Amino acid sequence: MSRGERFRIAGGRVYDPANQVEGEVRDVCIEDGRIVASVPDGSPTLDARGMIVMPGGVDIHSHFASSSCNHARRLVPEEHGADPAPAPNLAHDASSRSGTGGTVPSTFTTGYRYAGLGYTTVFDAAVAPLLARHSHAELEDTPCVDGGIFILMGNDEYLLRLIAAGERERARDYAGWLLGATGGYAIKIVNPGGIEAWKSGQRNVNGLDDPLATNRVTPRAILETLADAGNQLGLPHPVHIHCNNLGVPGNAEVTLASMRTLEGRRVHFTHLQFHSYGGPGWKSAAAPIMEYVNTHPEISVDVGQVMFGPAATITADGPVEYLLHKSSGRKWVNIDIELETGCGIVPFLYKDKAAVAALQWSIGLELFLLSQDPWRVVLSTDHPNGGSFLSYPALIQLLMDRSVRDERLKQVNPKLLAGSALADGIGREYTLNEIAIVTRAGPARLLGLTHKGHLGPGADADVTVYNHDSDVARMFSSPRYVVKNGSLVVEEGHLRRAPLGRRLRLQPPYDEAILPHLRRFFDAYSTVSFENFPVSGIPADPQPLSS
Amino acid sequence: MSHQQIENVTCLGCGCGCDDVTVTVSGGRIVAAEPVCPIGQAWLGNGQVPSAIISEGRPATLEQALSRAASELARANGPSLVYLGADLTTQAQRAALAIADLLRATVDTSTSGTAANGLITAQRRGRTGATLGELRNRGDAFLFWGVDPANRYPRFVSRYGIEPVGTHVPQGRPGRDVISVSVGSDKALAGADLALELTPEQEIPALSLMRAAILGHRVPGQSPEASMAAEVSARLAQARYVVVVHDAEPTDEPRNPLRAEALIALAQALNTSTRCSLCSLRAGRNQVGAEAVLTWQTGYPLGVEYSRGFPTYRPGYRGISRLVGGTYAAALIAGSPLLESDAEAALAALSTVVIGPRASEAPFASSIAIDTGVAGIHEGGIAYRMDEVPLMLRPPLPGPRSATEVLMALHGALQQELRRASR
Ligand SMILES: [Zn+2]
Repeated sequence: MSRGERFRIAGGRVYDPANQVEGEVRDVCIEDGRIVASVPDGSPTLDARGMIVMPGGVDIHSHFASSSCNHARRLVPEEHGADPAPAPNLAHDASSRSGTGGTVPSTFTTGYRYAGLGYTTVFDAAVAPLLARHSHAELEDTPCVDGGIFILMGNDEYLLRLIAAGERERARDYAGWLLGATGGYAIKIVNPGGIEAWKSGQRNVNGLDDPLATNRVTPRAILETLADAGNQLGLPHPVHIHCNNLGVPGNAEVTLASMRTLEGRRVHFTHLQFHSYGGPGWKSAAAPIMEYVNTHPEISVDVGQVMFGPAATITADGPVEYLLHKSSGRKWVNIDIELETGCGIVPFLYKDKAAVAALQWSIGLELFLLSQDPWRVVLSTDHPNGGSFLSYPALIQLLMDRSVRDERLKQVNPKLLAGSALADGIGREYTLNEIAIVTRAGPARLLGLTHKGHLGPGADADVTVYNHDSDVARMFSSPRYVVKNGSLVVEEGHLRRAPLGRRLRLQPPYDEAILPHLRRFFDAYSTVSFENFPVSGIPADPQPLSS
Repeated sequence: MSHQQIENVTCLGCGCGCDDVTVTVSGGRIVAAEPVCPIGQAWLGNGQVPSAIISEGRPATLEQALSRAASELARANGPSLVYLGADLTTQAQRAALAIADLLRATVDTSTSGTAANGLITAQRRGRTGATLGELRNRGDAFLFWGVDPANRYPRFVSRYGIEPVGTHVPQGRPGRDVISVSVGSDKALAGADLALELTPEQEIPALSLMRAAILGHRVPGQSPEASMAAEVSARLAQARYVVVVHDAEPTDEPRNPLRAEALIALAQALNTSTRCSLCSLRAGRNQVGAEAVLTWQTGYPLGVEYSRGFPTYRPGYRGISRLVGGTYAAALIAGSPLLESDAEAALAALSTVVIGPRASEAPFASSIAIDTGVAGIHEGGIAYRMDEVPLMLRPPLPGPRSATEVLMALHGALQQELRRASR
């Protein structure tokens, strides 16, 4: 069954939370790459009796298609050697590609492996505007998933100058122009002001009102300007924020301050686990953070769970990676990116016997288990920062199965866990419906993807069918069927088709009056000409803005 | 005759990737290009390239040549070599790599014989670098280590290096402390504020001592290297943003293989107390693009072999140098290779398919030669600057035929051929 055909996924237990369908036995009908209300009798049928049917997974925050990822790939040849990935045998001898795995797999392998988990839409959460062209090239080689990129703006020289000059409306228009020029989908802030501080010799900023030495702009002003810009531009996903002081004990203070300064605005805080540390010393601040999130419906978050095992830390947050390199002694890449941002990489290993890693693991689970609204607290490992996306099934099992979780808790270093809600015993177990929310329906809604994350008529025909299995990790790690855009990508647990994914990008309107000044700035300081900066030829129409 | 001007053309003459060139075209030829350096002038030339398709010594149609090429490559009685040339767009290199995967070939690029050492060293240690604009916008101390960019990267100093005004260096050149250290016959930048010379024997000890001094160790002794290290490291330590510039491409002076590691370590150490980027100058065309696409498709930037059905890494291995040993039965040369003459001779003994600029005029024998355009002159797409910034290409001239399209068509033909063979 390939695209253009119509067929029926018959008799499965359907979890489609966006349409209030929770485990009902019903058919899902597909025609021309979309979900339809019905198909004629006699249409081909996939027998899904006894199986679990969900929309395709949506990863709201991953690092899988960027120049930074390519630096990371290059840095860990030892991982690739240990995880070769021969080309899959596709139906009709269709062309497929070999590659390598590890924490940062090669592009084709990334696409195949995401599809093999039942994920059909993935966003790369940190792309420097100057290097967006590279991300689009990687996405062309990342099959099976629809992809988009978030554009780094929180340390952008031109934007900082506009903020310093009090030009917030022009900052909004600039953000709109930049998104369109780079084929981006959302505004991303990483360590507001902190990367500029790292590059200028100030090293970092720590509080929301720590001004940048070079232009007196504060993290608070950056957060407010870009949050307003995102909402005023009508972006489907609000500004996506990685707070100051990632990974530092006591950082919950600046995280809460960031949430408060943006109170009432629609914003998304990412990999919250890395920003939920109490102080002094290492301890959990998951409870106060989640109390704030639970009571502020305008906020959404993804967790950024740490999973034990190898990871690759890849972030624009240069100063963090310097500290990680110093403390871990591991190899370190730092790339400063002109006028825009930075990039740091340190391969890492989270050991369950390491006290801090155990605390991080525990805090992530606490955030999940204390969440009162799965629609706003969604699943991520910040792949590959907290662990590979391949660990999602194990994470889902920890959420759904208290006995597995408690067993695992007994094996970890307990030194820093005193007083954490997890150690005190949280009995909550996620339901399948809640898992369907935190892995597809919720992220799709937070991303403003009205045609994804659900199985109502008109939705993209991205569907995952799992064998029902009491071993939840096994169930989620090997779907029986995956349908991507109407094409049967995984059949009987094997990858059989690998269509190209679609690009999800925006083209927001902006006031063209900003262009002459912007061009002068380019002429003065950029090493790429203004005309050559925008990425052309992206193979997709822009997605609609919200009105 | 009417003249046409194409602005913002990207020059791939050297790794600087200047994208501010206005090219004037008249009668299908490039008649002027401004501003360009001599290397850029030579690269762009008049834009004339041959447009032949040759199969077994005779002119052929594209279809004939492709089906012949597919059957020769598919039926080769032994391992094959796929070479990704640097005068191709990244899209064309990508298409050639797909063929390598299909053929389970050994892949080689110009990197393996030139800048491999630095890349491999960075895989062990990491590195601290920056895009070229960051050097210009922030660098207030420049250390040119055994290189004067004037020779092989002529516009580096005026575009990225020391002369222009930067966002954080509003004074331009006077706001920068420029130090040059020559190593043997590798002469460093002329006109530096401090110019020093080292013998090749002194080089690595001097770099070690500098690193020790930067990390706060007392540098003992009164050797020339020690006093040099003390002086240079003291000046660098005072800067806000240090840029260390070296040439990652080979020069005539035999280079100590430890140089790359010592420079990476020095730059990393400088970040303890201040900021520092190491700038590794790279030659032009799109060899950095070949490394980029190899990395995203295989995980490795060079030395890839597909013989086991997936990429394996052989970093010390120069695929193309094995031509002479009779290792391969067939070769696909995509783009123009860097070849020694014995390797050229060896190609005559195999089924060799050449697809790329001036394929029909290649200095070695081939079974099939298909001329294509040159990246950035006739073909649009992406090429990578030395700092791995992807650049847009605006070709000023139409080309004979697109290398990307020819390679993709060959991939399709090969697939059919292999399917037929497996049936
Ligand atoms: Zn992230």
